[in-house]
Amino acid sequence: MSMQAVSDRGAGLFGRLSDTLWRRPGLLIFLLILPPAAWLGIIYLGSLFALLAQSFFSIDEFTGIIQYEFTLKTYAELFRPSNFDIILRTVVMAAAVTVGAAAVGFPVAYFAARYARGKWKAIFYLGVMMPLWSSYLVKVYSWKLILAKEGILNWMFETLHLGWFLNAYLAIPVIGGNSLSVSATGTFLVFLYVWLPFMILPIQAALERVPHSMLEASGDLGARPAQTFRHVLFPLALPGVIAGSIFTFSLTLGDYIIPQIVGSSRRFIGQAVYAYQGTAGNIPLAAAFAVVPILLMAVYLWIAKRQGAFDAL
Amino acid sequence: MTSAIRFSGVSRHYGDVRAVDNVDLDIAEGEFFAMLGPSGSGKTTSLRLIAGFERPTAGEIRIFGQVAQGIPPYRRNVNTVFQDYALFPHLNVRDNVAYGLMVAGQPKAQRHGAADGALEMVALTGYGDRKPSELSGGQRQRVALARALVNEPKALLLDEPLGALDLKLREQMQEELKSLQRSLGITFIFVTHDQGEALSMADRVAVFNEGRIVQIGAPETIYFRPETPFVADFVGSSNVLPPEFVAQLTGRKAHGALRPEAVHLSEQGHSATVRSVSFLGAATRIGIRIGDVPMTMLLPKSDTFPKVGDTVTVNWAAEDLHVMDRA
Amino acid sequence: MKNVLRSGTALVLGLAVAGQAAAQNMLSEIGEGEGQVNIVAWPGYLERGETDKAFDWITAFEEKTGCKVNIKNANTSDEMVALMNEGGFDLVTASGDASLRMVAGKRVQPINIDLIPSWSTVDDRLKEAPWHYVDGTHYGVPYMWGPNVLMYSTEVFPEAPASWDVVFKPMDLPDGQPNAGRVQAYDGPIHIADAANYLMFNQPDLGITSPYELNEDQYAAALDLLREQRKLVSRYWHDAFIQIDDFKNEGMAASGTWPFQVNLLKAGSAPVASTIPQEGATGWADSTMMHVDAENPNCSYMWMEHSLASNLQSDLSVWFGANPAVPAACTDGRGMQTDEGCTTNGMDDFERIKFWTTPVSSCESQGTCVPYYRWVSDYIGVIGGR
Repeated sequence: MSMQAVSDRGAGLFGRLSDTLWRRPGLLIFLLILPPAAWLGIIYLGSLFALLAQSFFSIDEFTGIIQYEFTLKTYAELFRPSNFDIILRTVVMAAAVTVGAAAVGFPVAYFAARYARGKWKAIFYLGVMMPLWSSYLVKVYSWKLILAKEGILNWMFETLHLGWFLNAYLAIPVIGGNSLSVSATGTFLVFLYVWLPFMILPIQAALERVPHSMLEASGDLGARPAQTFRHVLFPLALPGVIAGSIFTFSLTLGDYIIPQIVGSSRRFIGQAVYAYQGTAGNIPLAAAFAVVPILLMAVYLWIAKRQGAFDAL
Repeated sequence: MTSAIRFSGVSRHYGDVRAVDNVDLDIAEGEFFAMLGPSGSGKTTSLRLIAGFERPTAGEIRIFGQVAQGIPPYRRNVNTVFQDYALFPHLNVRDNVAYGLMVAGQPKAQRHGAADGALEMVALTGYGDRKPSELSGGQRQRVALARALVNEPKALLLDEPLGALDLKLREQMQEELKSLQRSLGITFIFVTHDQGEALSMADRVAVFNEGRIVQIGAPETIYFRPETPFVADFVGSSNVLPPEFVAQLTGRKAHGALRPEAVHLSEQGHSATVRSVSFLGAATRIGIRIGDVPMTMLLPKSDTFPKVGDTVTVNWAAEDLHVMDRA
Repeated sequence: MKNVLRSGTALVLGLAVAGQAAAQNMLSEIGEGEGQVNIVAWPGYLERGETDKAFDWITAFEEKTGCKVNIKNANTSDEMVALMNEGGFDLVTASGDASLRMVAGKRVQPINIDLIPSWSTVDDRLKEAPWHYVDGTHYGVPYMWGPNVLMYSTEVFPEAPASWDVVFKPMDLPDGQPNAGRVQAYDGPIHIADAANYLMFNQPDLGITSPYELNEDQYAAALDLLREQRKLVSRYWHDAFIQIDDFKNEGMAASGTWPFQVNLLKAGSAPVASTIPQEGATGWADSTMMHVDAENPNCSYMWMEHSLASNLQSDLSVWFGANPAVPAACTDGRGMQTDEGCTTNGMDDFERIKFWTTPVSSCESQGTCVPYYRWVSDYIGVIGGR
């Protein structure tokens, strides 16, 4: 019987390297984490802070030259009516898109998580993901055609003799307009369409994790289906909804393409950033605008946490 | 004795799969009733039929005389303790227990009081503010029990409630469940695959196999007088003797059941070869073979045991050999 | 080019140091070609028959000179300046703002016009245009120019509108319907200049002498006009193809636009035409400029000559709906352009076109003007309904 306790398999350089890493797992983790941490720390956060730093400079009113001195003047400019309008408009739109996406996405996700099996599950994933495969711009332009005055949607309303209804809706100030494609409603619909997958998938993942017995238990204890939804299913799916809403909310806050193509031309934050840094050379104001979504998301997450959105994590 | 649950020709088929197949069942009010069987035998599906999570494809279920057809789970006056407990992770223990009262619209103070009372009943006083994730398995099990009982159901359905507990805790809970049932006086319907559990706790046991009830009766009957080889084997780990062998001994050609502890070493009797010896603590299990009939016997503590390969002489009392008329 | 008026800041800086960018060493004679030339250009400016077989002004050049043309497209003036700062390119088709920024930043070198035989054929009006001729030095060869015309639906207007007021003032159009919701305006702060141009003609008492040099009062009047316009405009146009789509699908009646869209819409048989109304119009002009460290100067000079002498001027003006820098290209049959085509594109309206310059604080006409960065923020406000 051989008494050799140690095999000489893998005694080469790599073998020794493996042995060293096995004995010192901390070293392995360090080596694994170093490149992404360096990337995240230096390039990602570094550029973010460089941006934030810009927001504390100001632009000279007279010459238009950037003054590299600390000031909060640029932030004060955010509260000028025309700028504050932009922030308000963007936040309201982002909130509406988020609520809309949750309302539309939840039933879809629920069906997929609870009932879809096998082939239907594949069809669900395909259906949800497929819009993500095609070009964002193509999708938005297609929607422009759908919503146009002489587009499909309008034609459908006319054919169904509901044109009066659409016109009455479009006559409503703020959300209406000359046609759907130049109304805030149009912008909303396109945002909703484009970001919907980002809401459905996290909700679906959260719902998959809810054991079926949880819902049976609720019903067993006397809760009607609506009560089960309100007290069990929704709270348990809430982390997914929150995750999805972080996507839809922040993506809407940052987007500058959709409102440029569909809508009333009234600016959103992303467009303001683009205009101020690109054409105006007012980088401090652009940077200050860029800080707004970051702050909004921080506040949003803070409120969500306080409301117990992450308790079921 | 009034009937709590009555199945008349109840079936639950999933396509070709007959999860429950033409079952008749009558559970009396106040009874501690066990449904015993291997996995896939239909016992859990039967329980779910009572709770209303499943609908029968044929037959009729009556709950306390009322036809259950079309009544959703949330209107049935039965409550379930789930195998995985199904505690709501986002609610603390008190709110979990008070859940049924909350959805019934009881004010907060009242339902919290009731919940604390129920927690006291299962010896979890003071745990109300914890989250289920902060509890041990046994404590969760008690919370699930309290949550079901706080609604004062007329029947409590327990789906393998002790399956996830370790042996010692399981034995303790068995005791507690039994005394609880006695003090509450309500019907307990208990699903398990553990024959020891079923026999020790239940007033009556229904043994399930392949969607049907193969035998229903008191634990002693099931244990000592199994009607089929399946029951003999599954419930008592009895020696199931082939009809030819039984015919030699009794003259009746049918399967026979012989309890291992009924077999003992003897001066006279059947000559047997020892195939295996396993020390079990309180007893030693010995595998033997009489001719070509394999058999096990349980020997109490003793100084000497036969060894593998020994030839021994074994015997049993004639009345211990139970001849099963059904196949 | 026309859609971009970038960075007033840089321009202020640029003008300040422009004088120092004195005559550097210019090429004095053209030698052998280096075999290639690298050009930064607006999309559509350099065609080799790949988009449409009929439009090719590169292949012949390559065959004749042996200089392979490598094209790098840039979508904004900022991108152009950035690419030129990076280096590695020989030529750029720069617009007014980019051109002065690059002169100021010494990214481009003076051009020896004696080495370009066809220089004499260049439109006299462009030879010493301020966007490439700085302090007596030529920094570029004129390439293409165009007006921002008024496009209108011929179904709505039996005759061309006489004034820009159809897009500025609420009124009933000839078809009896109001213009509200049926007109568009450009989605860029430079559109303030269009408003100023309108006021310059219609409210002479404001004393506007250049739509790009506005004092506070003139500026306020222009913004007021634009606020009125906001009520009429359902969508401001930003992208040429979106505007084309809007004229097809949204029932648009009139809008300021580039000849490019007019030509494309006409090509698609849409019932539109364009005009330059009585107030005149704003416009844009681009020049070919040469990198200060151009590695292929000989091929670069050959290209600049080619850009003036070949079918390029004629065919590009058709392709882009612009005007050639060489007037003869309209008539001499070197390409597809015709006299009528040039007239459509605004060739005869040069005097009525105010070529844009970036608005700066210190302006020539009246000392202090509203700078461009304020145009940006205020125009955002106007569109937002403020």
